[in-house]
Amino acid sequence: MKKMICLTINGKEYELAVVPNMTLADLLREELLLTGTKKGCELGDCGTCTVIMNGKAVNSCLVLAVQAAGKEITTVEGLETEKGLHPLQEKFIENGAIQCGFCTSGMLLSAKTLLDKNPKPDELEIRTAISGNLCRCTGYQKIVESIKDVSEGR
Amino acid sequence: MLLPKFEFHEPATVEEACRILGELGEKAKTLAGGTDLFVNMKKKVLAPEHVVSLDRIESLSELGSSNGMLRIGACVKAAEIAESHAVGGDFPALQGGASKLGSPLIRNLATIGGNLVSARPAADFPPPLMVYGAKAVLKSSTGERTVAVSDFIEGPGRTIISPEEILDSLLIEKPAAHSGSAYIKLGIREALEISLVNVAVFMTTEGPDGSIKAARVVMGSVGPTPLMSPSAEKVLLGEKPSGALYLAAGEAAAMDSRPIDDFRASADYKRAMVKELTRRALAQAYNEI
Repeated sequence: MKKMICLTINGKEYELAVVPNMTLADLLREELLLTGTKKGCELGDCGTCTVIMNGKAVNSCLVLAVQAAGKEITTVEGLETEKGLHPLQEKFIENGAIQCGFCTSGMLLSAKTLLDKNPKPDELEIRTAISGNLCRCTGYQKIVESIKDVSEGR
Repeated sequence: MLLPKFEFHEPATVEEACRILGELGEKAKTLAGGTDLFVNMKKKVLAPEHVVSLDRIESLSELGSSNGMLRIGACVKAAEIAESHAVGGDFPALQGGASKLGSPLIRNLATIGGNLVSARPAADFPPPLMVYGAKAVLKSSTGERTVAVSDFIEGPGRTIISPEEILDSLLIEKPAAHSGSAYIKLGIREALEISLVNVAVFMTTEGPDGSIKAARVVMGSVGPTPLMSPSAEKVLLGEKPSGALYLAAGEAAAMDSRPIDDFRASADYKRAMVKELTRRALAQAYNEI
């Protein structure tokens, strides 16, 4: 049986009917076509499905859509504003921190929650913050540098 | 990867949750953080007809101390425990366990109660809880009982909790003066790792330079449940802290461990690591005093 839920995604309010066994990742991708959120392992290991839920980065493959009722969700699509791309997005592009791009949305959202809480992280804090997001292309170096660049206002 | 179908319940109070679980019994699974339950459901290891979420019960998400007792609601997230000053100040081994569990993403979902009820032999929360002598409060519609965490876990994935009960909270007494504790987790990598071996230790000394009057060593991933090492405790009690003593306690702990050969490492290696991690953890704990 479907359940009605209200939630806010990227600042916009939604009222949706969802089946209990639908994950938040599937709600975003299949129902709302917000395909910036990726699905990799679907078991909480890879971090490609990362979204921000009430200020915390979580694996949306391990959250039910019904559990997101009343919550505020930010996906990668919500990072861009009228002023343009988010500074993290700009730096990722400038530094070549993106190769295949599959991990990028998760990396950006984990990095954003880090900088929101800790605007001047050291390298270990940066590496810890993205330790739930796997990248198989870049070796992480340019991703770490990009986050550092933004934190230092470069 | 689809989740099997189920009916979803979202009680707002512990009483309501107990009533629902009392009615559904074995047909229901309790949902806390979901980081184990949903993985098992996706892998079709579990397919409960009903899922009872504890997400909306506020009292289960509260962490606080009063009268020298720390109470952690069963649904408090690992991330909150890792960042809590109340935990970090008096219970460094518990903070260690919380901050080593999974990844930051997982720690924002996974709960202390879920980690205990899942009862994996390599889990990060049970050894620290056991060295502090933590107690688990279980509730059902017929009453309440309090049991030591060391008696709570029975085997891999098995605890004494019955299908109609929920784990409400963990209670930990504030350690006596001149106490120190530590948790060390060994894995092949730094993050998103399941322990090869983990060790939590606790000690209290008679004054700042005195001999050891209370000690506890708990080892994870080297037996079907986290194991206390009575031999290591015996070695430590009544003695003055020293490097040689920690080594002797490590050797005693290794003798008490019961590791098996598996794809993660050989039993011999794990036993050797129990010895070394115990030695290091004791030195670290002493520095905390």
